[in-house]
Amino acid sequence: MNKDTVRVFLLWLALTALGELLVLRLNLFPLAAADEAVIVDRAFRTLLVLAVPVFVFVLVTLGYSVLRFRSRGQPEQDGPPVRIHKPWVVFWLVWTTALTLLVIVHPGITGMRELHMKAAEPVDLVVKAEGGRWFWRVTYPELGVTTTDEIVLPVGKHVRFDVSAMDVLHSFWIPAFRIKIDAVPGMVTRIDATPTQLGSFNEDAQMRLQCAELCGLAHAQMTVPLRVVSQAEFEAWIATQSRQARNP
Amino acid sequence: MATLSALRWVGRGLLFAAVGLLLGSAGAVGITRLTGHPKVAETVITLGYVGALLGWLLGVGVWDVWAREWFGLPTRSLQGPGGSRFFRFNTDHKVIGVQYLVTFVVLLLLAGGLAMLMRAELMSPGRDVLSARDFNTTMSLHGIIMVAVAVATIIGGFANFVVPLLIGAEDVAFPRINALSFWIIPPVAVLLVLTPFFGGFDSGWTAYPPLSVLNAQGQLLFLLAFLTFGLSSILGGLNFIVTIAKLRAPGMTWGRLPIFVWSIFAAAIISLTATQFVALGLLMVILDRVVGMAFFDAARGGNALLYEHVFWFYSHPAVYIMILPAFGIWLEVLSHFSRKPLFAYKLVVGALLSVVAISYLVWAHHLYTSGMQGFLHIPFMVTTELISIPTGIVFLAALGTIWRGRLWLTTPMLFALAVVFNFLIGGLTGIFLADVPTDIQLQDTYFVVAHFHYTIMGGEIFALMAGVYYWFPKITGRMYNERLGRLHFWSMFLLYQVTFIPMFWVGIHGMNRRVADYAPNLAGANQFISIAAFLLGVSFLVLVYNLVVSWRRGPVAGANPWRARTLEWQTSSPPPVENFPYPPRVVGSPYDYGVPGSQHALPGVAGGAGSSEEKEVRNG
Repeated sequence: MNKDTVRVFLLWLALTALGELLVLRLNLFPLAAADEAVIVDRAFRTLLVLAVPVFVFVLVTLGYSVLRFRSRGQPEQDGPPVRIHKPWVVFWLVWTTALTLLVIVHPGITGMRELHMKAAEPVDLVVKAEGGRWFWRVTYPELGVTTTDEIVLPVGKHVRFDVSAMDVLHSFWIPAFRIKIDAVPGMVTRIDATPTQLGSFNEDAQMRLQCAELCGLAHAQMTVPLRVVSQAEFEAWIATQSRQARNP
Repeated sequence: MATLSALRWVGRGLLFAAVGLLLGSAGAVGITRLTGHPKVAETVITLGYVGALLGWLLGVGVWDVWAREWFGLPTRSLQGPGGSRFFRFNTDHKVIGVQYLVTFVVLLLLAGGLAMLMRAELMSPGRDVLSARDFNTTMSLHGIIMVAVAVATIIGGFANFVVPLLIGAEDVAFPRINALSFWIIPPVAVLLVLTPFFGGFDSGWTAYPPLSVLNAQGQLLFLLAFLTFGLSSILGGLNFIVTIAKLRAPGMTWGRLPIFVWSIFAAAIISLTATQFVALGLLMVILDRVVGMAFFDAARGGNALLYEHVFWFYSHPAVYIMILPAFGIWLEVLSHFSRKPLFAYKLVVGALLSVVAISYLVWAHHLYTSGMQGFLHIPFMVTTELISIPTGIVFLAALGTIWRGRLWLTTPMLFALAVVFNFLIGGLTGIFLADVPTDIQLQDTYFVVAHFHYTIMGGEIFALMAGVYYWFPKITGRMYNERLGRLHFWSMFLLYQVTFIPMFWVGIHGMNRRVADYAPNLAGANQFISIAAFLLGVSFLVLVYNLVVSWRRGPVAGANPWRARTLEWQTSSPPPVENFPYPPRVVGSPYDYGVPGSQHALPGVAGGAGSSEEKEVRNG
């Protein structure tokens, strides 16, 4: 190994260590208020951990080359006529292929599997969400309650959202839960979440249902505040809602 | 007077277009009256536009240069010296290249201005500068114009100017088709600029139905424009494939082709074979709107998801139409300015062609959250991730080429080196969007916006800038100002990072894309992004000033200011109409820097055109 290669290797080692430290220590994500959010954030962090060495390798090689091999003014000589260097090519192909296959399996397939297993658990509450320009109609079919100005969910319960659209495409997105599924006219799409933290939109803007598929004029305003409450509060809220529905 | 005669043909085109518009509209009125079809306005727009487009093309030169021979009449050539040749149906590939470059750089600046408007609105939460309708139209126009810029500037501009030179040819295979594919573009630009006067369009450049069937008539103008642009793209692809396959100079074997030519060949395959699919999707939306069909209307048995599949079946490969030519310029510049052979040349060629093959099999990664069948997730995740392997080879070639080279840090080289950094970020963040679990959260957020700006702007537009400075002396015969070039590079590079890196952060923190408003907790970050974006916009003025002033008054560049080995530098700057006095004779690789006694090509000699070696190449 020549001097340049050794230096690049050492730089790579040091900066990769620093990068991994940052990735593992820094608080990268906003409020994660559901089991699903934890799975998604973990997958994100895994990808970052894998990306750091690759990023640093290219960056260090690039930076080192620019500083070390630059010529002042137009170079008078040509560089060494190296057309290919087999060991490096093999090294590169093996690593890029291995990493590619790795990210497919983990966190790709493993993360999907975790989400599917969560979704396969018994459902405690079904919530129907219909998107229209530019509002969401949220219905609790088992409880006979419909609302458009707030979604309230009980903490710790497995909620299944049945999502549909009244007119054009919309998308059902709750940032704090890291869940998203399009609302498509003529079909019902499903997504699951188990809220794990009490909280509301007023405390954290991630607690909202947001339309994420461009749907025209007031697309940006197509949000509904979300509130996660205890089971007792949820039952009280449902009771109030049904009373109001009966005596408007 | 000179200006008047320059605009004579354009004027005639406009006149014929007006006649076509009248005839088409009259036809539309007649048809709707006869059939009782209720959608009169939409029918008039559609048929009127078809008439205007045909009239424009015939008037601007198709009739004189081309169509007369269909009726046994003699045709005429609209070539000639002077500035007016750029305003005519000229068939010289170098003139067409300049026409494309100037047109699309103007469009780039226009769409950049629209981005400034959007950033002004996004400076703070709430509604400030634009109405909801104007914001959506601004955003949609920015998207489609930039997509057109990304698809056409390098292929239409540089490939047109440089590819025939690089392969030692006199022109492209079909010069008149080449001129046609350029002159189709002005109607596209006019339609897009007119959309705000027809109610705008609020569907983004993706134009998903049912929204795009239900909204204002500006949408119809957009659909017609996109469809027309696709035609230009298909014709361009066809031309380059045939040119590269058939018109190489004697001795220019496939293994000696400069990598830029290979990259254009690869991109042209996609242009020629994938564009039809988006045309089909657009046509179905037009039929839903104008004729009242129901391809995408669920209530009448249609399916909105169908469009998303057809649209992305083209539009994902299309990002490789954008980026493959950028890879070509990138590697070309790195080799010539490192004075080293392009590392792993054959492997890179294989990588470019593999990208083409895989690009057709990844489209549904745009649909992970669309509600499509769940069993499609894993196959599309696999194909999408696999594309990192050939892309990785391109990085290997870039790093292997500069390693231990003699790096000459001119403006084009700085831009090419910046592509390594930008596309690295673009590529790595792509993995977060290709993996299903993370994409569920990131889809349709600013993370996506940041990602594709890092690939398309940081990758392609930076490579385009490398090309602008690299070939400026060849195209104009004059040298740009190096100091201003570096000022442009450093301001654009740094401000670019400062503008787009925070967009990853706001995306992760719950800001969705295509919105005029956002949660107040993201106000600080957005204000920062907006200010950086304005400064980034200003940095382009340095480019414009440098190019305009240098074109008029820059020092004479000479044939080969870079001492590069490829063929375009072996003829005068700018090259004569016939490119080379006699076809050059290629005897070796274009990249053998440092190989003692090596040569890429020998000047052609009289009578050399019919030599046995050339026949060998053409038959092989």
